Formats: sequence, C-alpha cells, structure tokens
Amino acid sequence: MANVVPVDAYSTGEWYPGYKPEFFDMPWIVDPAGPFRPGDENQFWFLDFHWSRGLTPLGSTLWSGDGYCWGTQHAAESLPLPPGRGVTARFAGTHLYGSALPETDPREIEARAGRIATNLPHFLTNYRTIWESGRDELENTWSYFRGIDFTQARGDELPNLLGQARRYHKRAMEIHFGVMYPMLANFLGFYGACADMGINPNEIGKFLQGEDTKIMETDRKLYELALTARAAGLEGVFETHEGGQLRDALARHGGAASVWLTEFDDFLQIYGYRAEATCDVGVPSWMEDNTIPLDLVKTFLQRRDSHDFEHAARNAMAERQEAIENARAGLTREEQAVFDAGLASNQEANFPWWQDDHNYYIDLKVMLPLRWGCQELANRVKADRQDDMLYLFWPELRDVATGDKPYDGELRSLVDARRQYFDHWHDRRSEMPKVLGTVPEAVEDPILIEIFGLNPQSIKAVQNPEAAEQTTISGVAAAKGTARGIARVLQSSDELHRLEPGSILVCESTSPNWTPAFGKIAGAVCDGGGMLSHAAIVGREYGVPTVTATGVATLSIGDGDEIEVDGTAGIVTVLGRAAAAPAAVASAPEVPA
Amino acid sequence: MTAATVQPPEPAPERHSCEAIAWLDEVPPEEAVARGGAKMGRLAELLASGVQVPQGFAVTVDAYRRHCRESGLDPRIDEVLAGLGPEPTDAEVETASATIRELFTGTPISEHLTARLTEAYEELCLRAVDVNVPVAVRSSATGEDAADASFAGIFDTYLGVSGIERVLDSLRRCWGSLFTARALAYRLRRGISHHDMPIAVGVIELIHARASGVAFSVHPVTGKRDRIVLETSWGWGEAIVQGLVDPDHIEVGKADGRVLRYDVAHKKVVSAFDFAVGAVTEIEMPAKLADRRVLDDEQIGAIAAAVTAIEEHYGHPVDVEWVIGRHRRAGDPVCIVQTRPVTTAEPEPAMSTAPAYDPVALAQKYLFSGKPIPGR
Repeated sequence: MANVVPVDAYSTGEWYPGYKPEFFDMPWIVDPAGPFRPGDENQFWFLDFHWSRGLTPLGSTLWSGDGYCWGTQHAAESLPLPPGRGVTARFAGTHLYGSALPETDPREIEARAGRIATNLPHFLTNYRTIWESGRDELENTWSYFRGIDFTQARGDELPNLLGQARRYHKRAMEIHFGVMYPMLANFLGFYGACADMGINPNEIGKFLQGEDTKIMETDRKLYELALTARAAGLEGVFETHEGGQLRDALARHGGAASVWLTEFDDFLQIYGYRAEATCDVGVPSWMEDNTIPLDLVKTFLQRRDSHDFEHAARNAMAERQEAIENARAGLTREEQAVFDAGLASNQEANFPWWQDDHNYYIDLKVMLPLRWGCQELANRVKADRQDDMLYLFWPELRDVATGDKPYDGELRSLVDARRQYFDHWHDRRSEMPKVLGTVPEAVEDPILIEIFGLNPQSIKAVQNPEAAEQTTISGVAAAKGTARGIARVLQSSDELHRLEPGSILVCESTSPNWTPAFGKIAGAVCDGGGMLSHAAIVGREYGVPTVTATGVATLSIGDGDEIEVDGTAGIVTVLGRAAAAPAAVASAPEVPA
Repeated sequence: MTAATVQPPEPAPERHSCEAIAWLDEVPPEEAVARGGAKMGRLAELLASGVQVPQGFAVTVDAYRRHCRESGLDPRIDEVLAGLGPEPTDAEVETASATIRELFTGTPISEHLTARLTEAYEELCLRAVDVNVPVAVRSSATGEDAADASFAGIFDTYLGVSGIERVLDSLRRCWGSLFTARALAYRLRRGISHHDMPIAVGVIELIHARASGVAFSVHPVTGKRDRIVLETSWGWGEAIVQGLVDPDHIEVGKADGRVLRYDVAHKKVVSAFDFAVGAVTEIEMPAKLADRRVLDDEQIGAIAAAVTAIEEHYGHPVDVEWVIGRHRRAGDPVCIVQTRPVTTAEPEPAMSTAPAYDPVALAQKYLFSGKPIPGR
C-alpha cells in the first residue's frame, strides 16, 4: 500500500489575496501549474528546494507556468521521454511542489521509444552545436536587454519590454530542459551501466569532474579580489563591517579602498548579473545588491590558510584519472569497450559540467530583465516599494504597465496583503511536508532522480514520522572525508552570513551562489541532490565532506547541534543537541591565576 | 616355446581395465560416461582432451549391477521399497533409506570383484610410487545432466582413504548413497526406478592440496560470459563445496586473462588431511592463513586456462573443481578433479552487431524500466 499524504490543507481554493484562477491562464502542454487542487493526492509531490524562500505572485506564476511546466513538458515531448511527460507544479502557500507526469499508454510509450532512439543519438552527436547555439541565442537576447536603458523607455514601450522579458525567460527554459533531458538520459544510462558492471556508484561522478565552469571562474575572480583587498591593507574594514555596510564603509575609507571598489565594480560588470536564486524574479542580482559578493570577499579574507584553486583543480583532475583507471581495471575487455565509449560520450556531453556552467548563462540571470522592467514600472507609478510589482499577477502587471488600470489604493492594499501572505509562508518553510500525495517507492523522471536526489532511500526517509528525533541520517556519499562541527541550518542563501569558519552547513540544497561558503565550512549536508548536485560537485572540488539526498537533514538536525558528517560512508550523526549545549558551555573553564 | 618366436616388435601397452574397472587413461571417451558415471566419465573425457586430471579408475556401473544381482541385494532392496506406500511420509523414507544403506555396508563384495579391485588399487599405488596410497572415493552417478545437477553433492565422497580394506568399505558406502533419503524421495516423486540410474564409483589418487576451489566459466549469478569466476581456500575443496567456509572470490576477464577483482575473505575453516583419522576433515583455519590471499596471478592464470580449455572442449559453460597440489610449480597445469555443464546459464545474447555503447538502449534499460537505477 502506497503511503498517501493528504493535500487537503493546501487545496482549499484559497491562495494569494485577490487570486483568480485565470491568473494561471497561459499556454500549457500536458498539465498546467496552479495551487493544489482536490484530487492532487493521487500524484506524488515533492517540495522543490530551489525556492526555499517561497515565491511572489509574479515569480510563482511565471516560473511555474512558463518555466518549469512549459520547459520540462516541452522537452519531455520533443526528446521524448518514453514513459514521462515532464514535470508539473503546484503551490502550497508560496511554496512550490513538483510532480512528474507519467505516460501510461503502452502504445504511446512504444512510439515515443522509437522517437528517442533517433533523437538521442542525434543530440549526442551534435551536442556541442546544439548547446552552444542555444546558449548564443540566449546571450544575444541578453545583450539586447543590456543595451536597453529601462529608465529611458517610453511609457508605451514598457509593456512590450515586459512581454519580451517574459518570452526570454520562457525561451530560455525550452533550451534549458531541451538540453538537460537528453544529457541526463545519457548520463543516467551510463551510470546504470557502470553500476551494473560492478563500478562503485560513488566513483561515477568523479569520472566527469574537474572541468572549469563559469561559476568556478566567478569564484576565482572573487578570491583574487580578496587577495587584492588584503594586499591593499583593507582586511580591517572587512573585519569590522557586514556585507550590507561594506560598500559605504569602503567608500568612506577612501584611497586604496576606492581603487579596490573600482576593481570590484569592473568584476560586477562581468560577473555581477547573477541573482541569488534560480529563476526567481523576486531576488536581486549582485549588481543590484552588493551584500552577497562583499560578504563572500569577507569570507575569503577570514580564511587563515589560502585556498589554491589551481591546486584544487589539479587534485580534481588527478582524482578523476585515478577513478577512471581503477574502474577500468575491474572490467573485462568487452566491458571496457562499453565503458570507454560511454565515458567519451559523457565527457563530450558532460552533464556535471553543464549542470554548473549553464547557471551562469540561464538560471541566475534569466529573470533579471523582467525584474528591471518591474522596478522601472514601480518607479513610474510611484509604488511604495521598488518590488511592489512582483506582488502583482501578470494580467494585473500588464494592465498597470499599459495604464489600463491605475496603481491605486485597491492594488496597493492588495500588494500589502500579498506581502504579508508571502512573509507568513516564508516563516512556515521549515514545517512544510517534504512530500505530499501518493508516495511511490521509486521515480523514473531523470530530473527527479538526479537533480532532486529522489532515490528509494530518500523517499523512504522523508516519510519517517520520527525524522525530527533521528540522530543518524544517511544519504548519498557525495564528497569523501569526515568532519565534526556545529550545524548551521540555513533556509536560503540569505542566511549565508551565519556560517562561521569550521561550521557545518545543513540546508535543503545549494546552488552556485553558495559556492564560496565551501571555502570556510567543515562539512555540508543537504536534504536533496544526488552525486552531481551542486553541493556534491563543489564539496569534492573544495575537499569538504558532503552528504546529499538525506531527505530530512533540515528536519533532523537543529541549528547549533554538534554533528559529524561522514562523506565517505554517506552518514550524518547528531552528537549533541543544541539545547543541551549551553549547560556544557555554562561551566566555564577555570582561568588559571 | 612358440610364443617366443612371435614376439611383436613393440609390446602392446599393458591394459588394466576389465568389465568392473575402467581406468581413466584407458576407457574410450565415448564410453566413459556410460561405464564410469558422469563424474568419472567426464574426467576421462578431459584427460583424453589433454587436461591434467588425477590418476585413477572407476568401479563401473556393471560392477555395481553385478554386485546387487549376485549378492542378493536386489530383492532385499525391492522388498524395502515395496514396503513404502504410494505417498510415504518423510520419516518412512528416512527409515527405508537407512535400512538399504545398512544392507550395502553389511553385504560383502564377491571374491572375484575384490580381487579385481585389489589389483586396481595396487596398480594405482605402483603408479603413485606409494604404499597404501591415499585416494578419493567419489560416487559417480548416471543419468541426464539435469538429474546430475539436482543430485549434486548428495552422494557420498570420501577423501584420504588409505588401504584396500578402507577403499572397499568406502565403495560400499558410496553405492549405498544412491539410496539417501533425498535421492529416494526424488525418484519416488519422479517415478524413476533406481535400476534406471545405477551408480559408478571413482577411486582416484588424492592430490595433496595446497589450495582448492571451484571455477565457473560464466558468472553463476549474473550469467555474464565474459569472465571466469573462482572461489578458493587453503587445503581441500570440501569446505567450499559444502559452504562451510567463506572463500576468496576472484574474477578473471576471459578475453585477456586479467584479474578483474580479488576479494580476500576471512576463511575460518579448512579441509585438511588428518593423519590420525586417515581422512580429510574440517578443522579451524590457522589464524595466519585465515586472511591471507590464497592464489597468486600465475596460479589464477593456470586455473583460467584450464577452465577456458574445458569450456571450449564441451562448447558450453562449465563449472569445475580444481586442486593446486603441494608440489605444483609455476608453469605446471592445475589438476581438475570434477567438471559439470552449467545448465542454468542463459543463452548467449547476440551482441556481435550491437554498438559497444548504446545510450538509447542503456537509458531504456536503466532509466525508463520502472526499476530503480542500480546503485541508487
């Protein structure tokens, strides 16, 4: 009997204040997004870690409709996935749950199997051209938006710009998932073959590691900026100020600090158009808000030992070579032929590399033009806050932009109410069930398996009613080594500043903006993510013991708990609860006279 | 004497076989299984094809039949069996089995056969240049391969039997083991008469084993045919065959003979020769040997070469029991003491036309099959 977690509490028909079902009226392929509805308990839903802050009205509708649902369903139809039709989305409050859409008609599955038999080899043969032409198309559109000064746009141009920005995001997701599904199918087929040939599954990710990405490049540039700051004697300024105050403090400091800020701004021109979240119009870029990159520089400066990126990269490549040689040694000649060809195919269309690199071109900046448009519109209608427009739904936003509807008291109070609704659900994030509906033993969609780490063990783990009391948590052994430290349970990257050097990061999942944190933490534990999730990859690159796909780490581990991460065995142990810790600390050591 | 004048230029090699005795190196391979049973018959076939096997002879199916007929055992066996109803209980079968086996141990072997057996055993001593050479006395059943497989390990084997009296005693016990409770129950269930599957018994020189084991020319679990799988421990192979010891596990690539993996096990028990008892028995493994790797690469290569040759000879996958003697030197062949066809192996998949790496087939197999991906 499958376990069913009811969705009744979320399928009430109530959503954001002033919500009307037609706000989700947008083209859809198999299943449209929306708030939970009765009957949804027949499907399996998992809480999506990418949006742990919750999503605003504009962010939730456009991302789920144009992005997630359109992108995955479009790609699942065009490859196609034989037994799957992509992913759909529902909202419980502001929190997004995903669900894979199965294809159940045997005749359809067979026909789709025939199509993927042609399309997947074609994709793999032409992978580089397909990805790079998609990427270049998006970069062209990006350049177009960069060339526009939104403040100078005529009033009648603004609605059109908003529409273009929305289409840019939608097109980006077609390209994104159009590349992701076939790469994942190739990777997971290779993975299965490797495991079947007796290769230790923990080794498979290593075969493809060590390639440089735009995200790693960004980290190196930030680190160079930290070294420049140290050389310029600015460590004291960074030490005494938090990220939010740093820019002003540096400007006041003048002299070398001003020179450094110029360099920093040059860096931002290239690398600063990245938001602190995946495809979330509600989150600012580094350019807009310097707090995060300045805090990252501060983090690098706090490290006593220097981090040698080149050394780490060489280590990663050496580890990769060793892993490949060890694996090959245990294979028969016939198996080596399969392995070598599969490895060559996966090194060419390298999913782990793409999974990091594409964030720079797509996920972290694709919502920025829409955000700029919304901010400019907010200025023009004299909104109370610059992000007010993000609390409108698309039809409302369009009407305000065209002037068909004034941004008056009615909309303003609606925005206020929606802001409260957002905050209310933001605070409830940690209580949200990890899964809803009919929970299966295993899933088939490659994105669910690889990106969300939904394996039979983690699916079982999230159903454990005693998860909060658990002191031993197992998951994927993502990066080897063992570390002990104080757990810092973070809801989103907004809280990165809470990480002290030597602490252990516990979170739902990480994304590229979390990377520099790996320079100071001792270990990492995530609810989601597989061998190739961001945390797993970065954990290996930085030599930080990491366990992913635990399902329940953020439930089982409390902030301040003392924990041990065994990234070799994939086990996390709670050594002491935070509640008990103050008593131990209270007995202060005697100070020698 | 006229005989002296017609002496042939080359004397015909002296033959030692007779109706009751079939020497491994004399019996024509095509008659070997019919006369010596499956186990001994295949050893004769291997010897004829150039594989190293121990010296020895089979006490033939005819000898068994004649013994049963002439000693009066046949009617007494039939009487016991007739006492079993159409659907006897397990306990009734057990009792009948014990009764018949006692009949065998209590019935002397005829003078004529005793003389033949004594001659043969003395010949084996002569060949081994030994007095009262220790031998293995092994049951060698007849019947189809499938029956042979389902009877695997249920007939008696005695290792380290020394002296003709003990050989004769072991021979009678092996004959009697045709009537173990399991064998009886099997035949009753299938409606097979014991007359249709008479038993032969092998008497072969005991190889003083440094290490022994089994080998499969196909992976016994996954059915993969690109490798040879070995399991081995110190001493004789009984502890492995009976599952009393966790053996070292080795896989060898068939195409190039490379050792793909070698898992050293903690081996707690060893089958060793007990001189006081005069038999191979299971004792605790000496601590210093328990965790030591049993085979070196040369030995593995020699075993793999023999297994490959046997598989090629028969044209189908085989399992093999082998022994590395104390006096074997590098480069010598290993000694094969038993081989059987592997009947459970799946037919060889037609792989020749498929590309080495087929991403579509692999995605279908591992990702779209409705089953969890291996290793997750």
